[in-house]
Amino acid sequence: MNDLPRLGLYIHIPFCERKCPYCDFNTYAGLEALYQATVEALIAEMARWADPLAGRTISTVFVGGGTPTVLSPRQLEQLFVAVHRTFRVAEDVEITCEANPGAVDREKFAALRALGVNRLSMGVQSFQADELRLLGRIHSAKDARVAYDMARRAGFDNINLDFIFGLPQQSAEAWAQTLEEAISLQPEHLSLYSLIVEPGTPFFHWVNSGKIVAPDEDLAAAFYEMAMERLAQAGYLHYEISNWARRASSTDSESETPHFACRHNLLYWRNEDYLGVGPGAHSHLRTSGNGSYIEQRWGNVRPVRTYVRRTCEGKPLAEFVEDISPPLAMGESMMLGLRLVREGVRQDRFAALHGCSPSQVFENELRRLSAAGLLTLDAERIRLSRRGVLFGNQVFLQFLPEA
Amino acid sequence: MNLDHIRNFSIIAHIDHGKSTLADQLIRMTETVTEREMREQLLDSMELEREKGVTIKASAVRMIYKHRGEEYEINLIDTPGHVDFSYEVHRALQACEGAVLVVDASQGIQAQTMAHLFAALEQNLTIVPVINKIDLPAAMPDEVAQEIEDLLGVPAEDIPRISAKAGVNVEEVLERVIAEVPPPKGDLDAPVRALVFDCHYDSYKGVIAYVRMVDGVITGLPKLLAMNTGKTMEPLEIGVLVPQMLPVNELHAGQVGYIATGLKSVQDLDVGDTITLAARPATEKLPGYRPLKPMVFAGLYPTNPDDYNELRDALEKLQLNDAALTYEPETSQALGFGFRLGFLGLFHMEIVQERLEREYDMDVIFTAPSVEYRVVKTNGEVIAIDSPAALPDPTEIEHIEEPWCELRIFTPAEYIGPVLDLVTKRRGELKTQNWLDSKRVEIVCLIPLSEIIVDFYNELKARTKGYASMDYTLDQYRPSDMVKLDILVNHQPVDALSIIVHRDQAYHKGQRLVSKMKEIIPRQMFEVPIQAAIGNKIISRANVKALRKDVLAKCYGGDVTRKRKLLEKQKAGKKRMKMVGSVEIPQEAFMSVLSLEEE
Ligand SMILES: Nc1nc2c(ncn2[C@@H]2O[C@H](COP(=O)(O)OP(=O)(O)OP(=O)(O)O)[C@@H](O)[C@H]2O)c(=O)[nH]1
Ligand code: SF4
Ligand SMILES: [Mg+2]
Repeated sequence: MNDLPRLGLYIHIPFCERKCPYCDFNTYAGLEALYQATVEALIAEMARWADPLAGRTISTVFVGGGTPTVLSPRQLEQLFVAVHRTFRVAEDVEITCEANPGAVDREKFAALRALGVNRLSMGVQSFQADELRLLGRIHSAKDARVAYDMARRAGFDNINLDFIFGLPQQSAEAWAQTLEEAISLQPEHLSLYSLIVEPGTPFFHWVNSGKIVAPDEDLAAAFYEMAMERLAQAGYLHYEISNWARRASSTDSESETPHFACRHNLLYWRNEDYLGVGPGAHSHLRTSGNGSYIEQRWGNVRPVRTYVRRTCEGKPLAEFVEDISPPLAMGESMMLGLRLVREGVRQDRFAALHGCSPSQVFENELRRLSAAGLLTLDAERIRLSRRGVLFGNQVFLQFLPEA
Repeated sequence: MNLDHIRNFSIIAHIDHGKSTLADQLIRMTETVTEREMREQLLDSMELEREKGVTIKASAVRMIYKHRGEEYEINLIDTPGHVDFSYEVHRALQACEGAVLVVDASQGIQAQTMAHLFAALEQNLTIVPVINKIDLPAAMPDEVAQEIEDLLGVPAEDIPRISAKAGVNVEEVLERVIAEVPPPKGDLDAPVRALVFDCHYDSYKGVIAYVRMVDGVITGLPKLLAMNTGKTMEPLEIGVLVPQMLPVNELHAGQVGYIATGLKSVQDLDVGDTITLAARPATEKLPGYRPLKPMVFAGLYPTNPDDYNELRDALEKLQLNDAALTYEPETSQALGFGFRLGFLGLFHMEIVQERLEREYDMDVIFTAPSVEYRVVKTNGEVIAIDSPAALPDPTEIEHIEEPWCELRIFTPAEYIGPVLDLVTKRRGELKTQNWLDSKRVEIVCLIPLSEIIVDFYNELKARTKGYASMDYTLDQYRPSDMVKLDILVNHQPVDALSIIVHRDQAYHKGQRLVSKMKEIIPRQMFEVPIQAAIGNKIISRANVKALRKDVLAKCYGGDVTRKRKLLEKQKAGKKRMKMVGSVEIPQEAFMSVLSLEEE
């Protein structure tokens, strides 16, 4: 029983106080009336998995959204109680909860702590007032600082801050300032995302209608390089394309993933298993039994009402399910694993998952890409080169089977 | 078997004057097709024809019509109006004794009205003129009738005035056909001679030949012989077109029908061939069709070099159904093994591209279209060149001659100025002007062919609010100061991007091409210089800036599928590009000459 692979649990809270105009996540504003029903549906969905996943241990929990902190302490409690009642949870479990600086208070932080949340991820996005306005955020830079202090005082000792760069007309000074402020707070973890104007969002519409200028990709690249340099000086280890962890101690070695990395996200990048519950949540599971072995990815229906209704009626929730063939699984391992810029794709992990060696399976691709200076490769691992980090897509797509 | 009760005719007209709609009405009237199966432009059965609302292929239908107590077998062939498909018209006419000439009452005689009419007269066909679209508010049936009288000598008041769309007076068309078009001649007792006027390849039945029976009778499924290729065949089926294939037991002289030849190889039968009985062959074959000279040439390459053989098969099959298409092998340094194709015009080229993509699922690259030049070399040798890459070294060239054509433009008189201006801009010369009536004029001019194949027609339409129409025929070759314009990508000349241009335009075109390429070629991981050159002289340059970063930042909530799909799409897009050296060039770059708009 004990050698069944560990599992991550993702709980999706599809609510926000206000929808940010650049955001294409499955989250909605104005659905307060559905909070309680959704919490109950989430609990019911988890219950469906109690039997099939009996025997597997949850090593990480990630409550994301949306803005989970819009839920009341009581609703949050119901959820966490259900997690522990339904699954076997590891003793050293990492439990992350997302929070927005505008939607928290002392009481809520205390409640989260009491429920066992030991990692907090806050969407700060920027420290510039005009940028926050453009992004349609409900909080100010000051709110973010206050919320951060509050979290620290509530006892959170593992905090991530999210930032977005490459905004329309963003200046290098503005970005540098935001970076400096972020560093001065000394969070354990930083996530920096380059703004992508996603179809269907108001931003997309505004760019097309000329109301705002499209983000400049070259500038975004320059800002990214700026961040890499500055964060390295400040003692942050760049371990994934968009993620940095503060150097914990001398135990953080050069090539491995640092101590303060997000363990839940590591499951994604290492192509391990996770169950996602909630509207539009995604899952990846390998199951075997009776001599059969299947690997699947699926995504739940996205509209909240549909999700709640189907859950109540005991109907299937998946909007799509795909079987992952072995060649595809290997391609995904590369596409995901190479994002871990320090750890890379470890030959031993790959072999354990797929039963073969990546340097054999991908001999040609690896030769070509390392000749092009995009990859480095040794007996232990395959990694993006510094140049490869900037051109990740050009590398990843080489490993995917022809669609 | 009575030939007196058979009539074979084509419907010919300028584009959009209502041929296919008239055919619909005749099909409906004769109840050839049930009302349930009936739809608009029924004979335009190709997906492309329906999408574009244009007839591309001539197609035949047999109808039975009762007239004054007698039953007539009527074979109608609907033809395309567009100038690029005139070979279809030409072949259809040869299977007929008469032609119904449709003229739009709101537009009057247009360029292809004349062109197709002359083709019919050349074959000695009886012409039945018809004025269509009399229901339109802008219809001027009297004026148009007068134009036709002036042209054909048919009294204006005798010309049927119909609305094919509304079904007004359509019956009169058939009555005229019966009264005026002679029944087929043909000897029922002579050895079989059937003219193959069209073909198509059916994946189950092999080569299907569309035939006009000229002499004799085919009964059952006897062994047949194709007189040009010398191939014998054991037919699977003979029949008539209603308009789908309807097997019959017998086809006799005067009739139009089809033969499922049983041939599997498309080379075993030519359009224009004569089919006869193997056991009792005819001694003399039918004259067939005069070979066609393509006007425009372009390179065709599979996007994926591994598909070369498949592409050749597709071309063979397509050519069976498109007798105006020519091809021969060609090699390009940049694009590898491919073909040089000849077309009647750019619309023809576009249709070929679309048919290859849709009907044969090919992913292809076309290079810039070119006309055929004549190069007189310093050693006295004269060679024909239809590909810029094949142009000899400038030191070996004495001079180059380019094809000129006679261009006839029909336009309302108020646009004479803008039309002549366009002609002059394109190096043309006015020859004559003929007044059709007080308001419309035919402008005849001489102009280099290369000037009218690209963009000319659109420009003409734009300058005349859509009223002008044009038609052209090759005239003669004239010496001309032509140069080869090369495009260098990342310092390497890309042969497939070269074009031949007049020296006076070289500089301007070079600049336009370079800036166009800069738009089309996506940024790569390194900077890519693009240059235009004549010989060793660089006349224009621009840089495609290096891409600085290409990586998806977001990977949220474990939605790996979406991310992977984005990468798969990117990968598929890459596959559709051509690697030239280390630069990825999208397909459309090779055709970008087509979109170098004026100024
Ligand atoms: N108002 C009116 N429109 C007509 C009439 N006959 C045809 N049309 C319209 O004219 C357009 C062209 O008709 P088609 O029958 O496709 O013309 P065509 O001559 O076959 O065109 P090509 O085959 O492309 O040369 C269509 O939109 C028809 O509906 C008519 O008698 N009256
Ligand atoms: S708060 Fe976050 S999840 Fe909610 S709308 Fe804004 S960006 Fe999207
Ligand atoms: Mg038509």
